[in-house]
Amino acid sequence: VFNKRVVLITGKGGVGRSVVTAALAKLAVKAGRRVLVTEIGEEGEDYSPLAKHFGLARLPKAPAPLGENMMGAVLLARTGQELFLKSVLRSGTVARAALASESLRRLLSAGPSFREMGVFFQLLSYLRQKRDAEPEHELILIDMPATGHALALTGLPEQLLRLLPRGPIADSLREGQSYLNDPKLGSAWIVTLPETLPVSECLELIDGLEKTRMPVGGVLVNRLPDDPFTTEERAALTPMVNEQNWLGRQLFHRPLLALREVARLRSNTALPIVTLPELPHAFVVDDLVLELDKARLVPLAPSSRGK
Amino acid sequence: MTGPVRIGDLIRQRRIIVCCGAGGVGKTTTAAAMSIAGARAGRRVLVLTIDPSRRLAETLGVSRNPKDPVRVPDDRQRAAGIAAPGQLDAWMLDPKLVADSAVRRLTKTPEDAEKIISNRIYQQVSTMVAGMHEYTAMEALHRLVNEGKYDLVVLDTPPSRHALDFLEAPRRLSGLVDSRAISAFLPSADSLVGRAASKVIQAILGAVFGEEFAVEFVSFLSTFTGIFRSLNVDVNEMRTFLSGADVAFLLVSSPAPETLNEAYFFQDKTRELELPFRGFVLNRSRAAMGERPMPPAELKGDVVLASALRKFRAIAEQEQHAVLRDRALLAELGQRAGKDATALALPEFPQGADDIGTLVAVADQLAAG
Repeated sequence: VFNKRVVLITGKGGVGRSVVTAALAKLAVKAGRRVLVTEIGEEGEDYSPLAKHFGLARLPKAPAPLGENMMGAVLLARTGQELFLKSVLRSGTVARAALASESLRRLLSAGPSFREMGVFFQLLSYLRQKRDAEPEHELILIDMPATGHALALTGLPEQLLRLLPRGPIADSLREGQSYLNDPKLGSAWIVTLPETLPVSECLELIDGLEKTRMPVGGVLVNRLPDDPFTTEERAALTPMVNEQNWLGRQLFHRPLLALREVARLRSNTALPIVTLPELPHAFVVDDLVLELDKARLVPLAPSSRGK
Repeated sequence: MTGPVRIGDLIRQRRIIVCCGAGGVGKTTTAAAMSIAGARAGRRVLVLTIDPSRRLAETLGVSRNPKDPVRVPDDRQRAAGIAAPGQLDAWMLDPKLVADSAVRRLTKTPEDAEKIISNRIYQQVSTMVAGMHEYTAMEALHRLVNEGKYDLVVLDTPPSRHALDFLEAPRRLSGLVDSRAISAFLPSADSLVGRAASKVIQAILGAVFGEEFAVEFVSFLSTFTGIFRSLNVDVNEMRTFLSGADVAFLLVSSPAPETLNEAYFFQDKTRELELPFRGFVLNRSRAAMGERPMPPAELKGDVVLASALRKFRAIAEQEQHAVLRDRALLAELGQRAGKDATALALPEFPQGADDIGTLVAVADQLAAG
């Protein structure tokens, strides 16, 4: 999993994507990798779901240490656009003047795919950074916001290359593709929940990512509820629970429904599926690190359960 | 307004209900249930949604991406308990078609529209223009309401990270096509300074995109923005239209703290923009479940049953805690809503709420709310 240059973590809101990203980053460091953990930010927005797992309010704009062998940075479209203009125009002054132009600023903030392009370029610049001829950031983990944004970014190179087959943008896009679309260097992991809608959306997202030629590493099913009941206990109690409208009925049925959804996921994709148990405190990253470690990020046998 | 606000009354009386909410809170399903409730109450209803789930379109028996709204087939309407004069139409739109239809509506002649739609730059980027979906959803809403074919239009706002995007997006789009901002890219700037500035910018575009593309890009921008220039007026007109007495804004949220914070923020923002915020729908909430008894302390049976029951009582207590917490949350939302708005809880359906039976059950809860 960590033997890549860039790993995208995606999935819809509310599935615990940010905490999983933070846990994966810590685990990657344990596995001996030098990690840069990032998220895609919005200009002028203070809210960072990822930063709080590192005890910060927000991630720095440029990579700064978050711990041993771990750096963090927010990916901002504007920063990436600036970097790109500087490299193309070969003059900081002209680039700054260009960006100071109200017209260009508006065009870049609202115009077609310029935001994704900025993010893409910033990511590329981090991938390029070297220290003693070695990559400065061995592994870059990106917490990708909504699934639509993920597809917009992974689909960007192909879409733009049709428009701009030559020139500096095309060169950058091709270079980015050489990381993202190479299964040896890039992969996407999808975080989901063992529930009907999230699983359906996860399956759609797998299709979508594959259409953009983004290699998918696997699926992390978060918050798989533990089943406290033995098979015999369930058999004895089920008729009564179905008959009576007792409190607890929902929680009683939940583990079985969850397993059914995991099974549905498994029967619809050949990708590795890793389940993570439901933890009492949703935001304890270190507990999640232990669980991920236990899971060894290898596919579980069809009969095994989260715990 | 007389008496407390009730969601059921809004469904029976308003002409427009705008369902807002962050992604993943069950907004589309809630909007669909709301439209079913309206049609069951004898109204002619349209539900307008962009990028809906495959399953919901299947349940309602409508294709995705038709050119115009389509009638939900009779058998589905009957299954949903809708009878004349009530009727249900649905329009489930692909963002790409949404953009094309906006261009067609905003151009003066069909030839102008085709010129833009067949432009290869447009084809690649039309769905990526920020604010396009939101703007077009508003535009379609405006037109359909004015045509008078419907008693109620329920708008499910486009999927986005933030509930607020729907309100902000048209302004971003109009910022892009603002004539002053755009003119700098075009060859014919008015003043000497303007000409010099546009020359610099064109040189930059040339260096960044390559000469050939830069020329094409600028010519595309001028055609494209030419037609959208009328938009500035439209955005204001749209805002007036959405602040009318016939309109209700509802915010769908889940009990998760992040989406709740956003819900409060959204409420403040609607106030600021003088839009008629009328309530919170707290989705997937245990507050919506009726009174249920605790399981008994003892049951006649063997040791297996005894141990099963002990465990069951433990999870029943957990569920009890969750119920109390969700009720407190609902009460807080009710307080926040004030006298011009309300708060209603809907239960969680672990297997999704996109089948017709569940949609009708949700519709009934909304109608009674």
